[in-house]
Amino acid sequence: MCTGRIDPAIVAEAFSKGLDGLLVVGCYFGDCHYITGNHQAKAKLDMTRRLFKHIGMNEDRLAFRQCSSGEGAVFVDIVTEFDANLRRIGPLGADGDRVKGAELHKKLEAARAVLASEKIRWVIGKRTPFLESGNMYGEIFTEHEFNRAIDMIIVEEMEVQEILASLRQGARSIKELANELTIPSERVFRYITALKRKGMVALDRIAGQSPIFQIIPQEV
Amino acid sequence: MDEKSVLIVGGGIEGVRAALEQATSGARVTLVEKYPTLGAERIPRDRLIQPGEAFVNPDLAAVRNHDRIDILTCSDIQRVRKDNGTVAAHILKRSLRVDNTKCTDCKACIKVCPVNMFDDFDEGFTFRTAVDYFNPATGEYNIFKEDMPVCQRTCPVNLDIRTYVGQIADGKYLESLATIRDRLPLPGSIGRVCPHPCETACNRQYLDEPISICFLKRFVADVELNEGIEPVYETPDEKFPEKIAIIGAGPAGLTCAYHLARKGYEHITIHEALPVPGGYLWVGIPEYRLPKKLLKREVDLIANMGIDIRYNSRVGRDVTFEDLRKDHDAIFIGAGCHRGLKLRVPGEDEYEGKGIVDCVTFLRDQALGKPFDVKGKLIVIGGGNAAIDSARVGWRMGFDEVYILYRRTKKEMPANPWEIDAAEHEGVILQYLAAPVEIMGKDGRVVGMKCIKMELGEPDASGRRRPVPIKGSEYVIDAETIVPAISQGTNLDFLGEDHGLDINRWNTFDIDEDTGATNVPGLFAGGDVVTGPDIAIRAVAAGKKAAEGIHSYLRSK
Repeated sequence: MCTGRIDPAIVAEAFSKGLDGLLVVGCYFGDCHYITGNHQAKAKLDMTRRLFKHIGMNEDRLAFRQCSSGEGAVFVDIVTEFDANLRRIGPLGADGDRVKGAELHKKLEAARAVLASEKIRWVIGKRTPFLESGNMYGEIFTEHEFNRAIDMIIVEEMEVQEILASLRQGARSIKELANELTIPSERVFRYITALKRKGMVALDRIAGQSPIFQIIPQEV
Repeated sequence: MDEKSVLIVGGGIEGVRAALEQATSGARVTLVEKYPTLGAERIPRDRLIQPGEAFVNPDLAAVRNHDRIDILTCSDIQRVRKDNGTVAAHILKRSLRVDNTKCTDCKACIKVCPVNMFDDFDEGFTFRTAVDYFNPATGEYNIFKEDMPVCQRTCPVNLDIRTYVGQIADGKYLESLATIRDRLPLPGSIGRVCPHPCETACNRQYLDEPISICFLKRFVADVELNEGIEPVYETPDEKFPEKIAIIGAGPAGLTCAYHLARKGYEHITIHEALPVPGGYLWVGIPEYRLPKKLLKREVDLIANMGIDIRYNSRVGRDVTFEDLRKDHDAIFIGAGCHRGLKLRVPGEDEYEGKGIVDCVTFLRDQALGKPFDVKGKLIVIGGGNAAIDSARVGWRMGFDEVYILYRRTKKEMPANPWEIDAAEHEGVILQYLAAPVEIMGKDGRVVGMKCIKMELGEPDASGRRRPVPIKGSEYVIDAETIVPAISQGTNLDFLGEDHGLDINRWNTFDIDEDTGATNVPGLFAGGDVVTGPDIAIRAVAAGKKAAEGIHSYLRSK
């Protein structure tokens, strides 16, 4: 099994089921049997760490390290270090994390949905071509620009997935969503119009003067 | 032209109506619209109005099908030029970036598009994605890509600032330097002296402060220097045989030579009147702002591309302009502005060289290490960077007191504020609202200057308040040396007579802005000799533009 096959959505799901830490140990760069598997693993896990940091979880709970199968001592060092780190951080949702308990659990649910959704997976999949060979027009991006784009997506996708999670409970107005999720209502409005345009949300009815929106189930 | 042709900018309801009107009256119409579709056509699918009830401009179909109307969507007017009673417009048409013949309208791209941006169709009220359809009827998709970032657009050479700053953030210093050198062969020098209009425009200033674009350039140039890497500027294997002469080894001439050599010209000769390269970068900008060693290194890198730089070869003295024209296929004139303008006050001519030295000569003699009789007080007249440089250089030479006399106030000074602050910090005394009236001398030497106090009146054409003399407020300051630094002009004597070039009333050339070509075929000009005294990066831009102009001139000959 290759570290490149680790799906970030599964990682988030494991944490939302109460996991305290996850150490991924892959091969050294250049040693990969599939050539770029470990590069992909690092890109995906780095992105997942950024997302965890954004939702208020200590991102050191997830680590990517490298060693070869012949290096027993190095492996011991890696595990010892991670173990010490994790003991210092403590159990999930306690003192070691910015966001605590049930709220973190809810955030992790949304994070799982973000990582399972198409958008972020497409973008992270395009990382290597964008940084190395460029797009169709030969425009190459810098890592700095790419990370900035990823950070934007993380912030927006988290809010969008929280909105969708709330709409799955039933149709809501923009004001209700804004109050429930503590997102400014003009942002909620922009997300809802964008979701409408994408065909993921539709108008349910108009109650008084507020339009009420409902979710459109997506075919997978 | 027999047929009347009309250009209509803007494809809104009015534009469409006007286009139809002109076409019906028999004109050939080109309709230019910034967005991918004509106005009022973009009906969002999510709107509350049912498609059947929506207002659709009945003129649209007529405009689309009219055989006398050409519609250019995704297009912008770049430049408009008047030409013998006609008007020529440069139009930039952008790619849709989507192959609509292969599009099946599945909207998957919209769902995954990572860029949420404010929708300009409704003035930023909602989000749209960078990839979007504009007109459900035609189903045409496009990817919106913003034009150059504001810093790149402001930079005269359009340096790819976003990329090179990003590469520095990634820690790829040498790649960053290569990005800069693609357009600018003098990163270390310009990175030290540029007044960076890009930073003035930088969007980051609205958050905290602008990105230090200029010094980042210096930083990567210094990384290469400190690591002892000696780069080689590549030239292509395929060479062109034409001979090109360049007058002046300043930023414009060097850049022109660099870009021509990169295109494959191997017979490039630069004639430089001084024994040193760099033009104003060497003899105008003091050592403390730009170390000569560093400038020399960057010039050598350019010279190593096979460019022959002949020092002490003043055109008009050591070689005539006619000979140059005979021997070369194209000439680039980048002679700069090396003549200090006169104050035009009594006594100035009388004591020329006896205490009165214009700033160009003053700075040049210092840069070339000529001895100077340093004693007593130095007065510099003017408020530009040349004045500040002269004063700070004078301070370093050891004058007892150094004054800068400026007729407006600090707020109106054209010099860079950080230079003014540095001068003040070093101990240069700035006197505002004062202007020279008469140079006073005794026994053939300057002993002082009569000045008059000014006050600020109404704003003039430059938007700055015009200084007005206060009657009866004359006073005298003692001074042994006076340096007028009010402005610089060109010296075109080297052209000789019968050169046939159009010279305008500012004693500069009128050139074609796209190619740098003068009115005489084969003669190109750029830099301060065209613009008057200006910043180095604009001279670099002119040199680059002229190199492209020369290339297309020689290839189409």
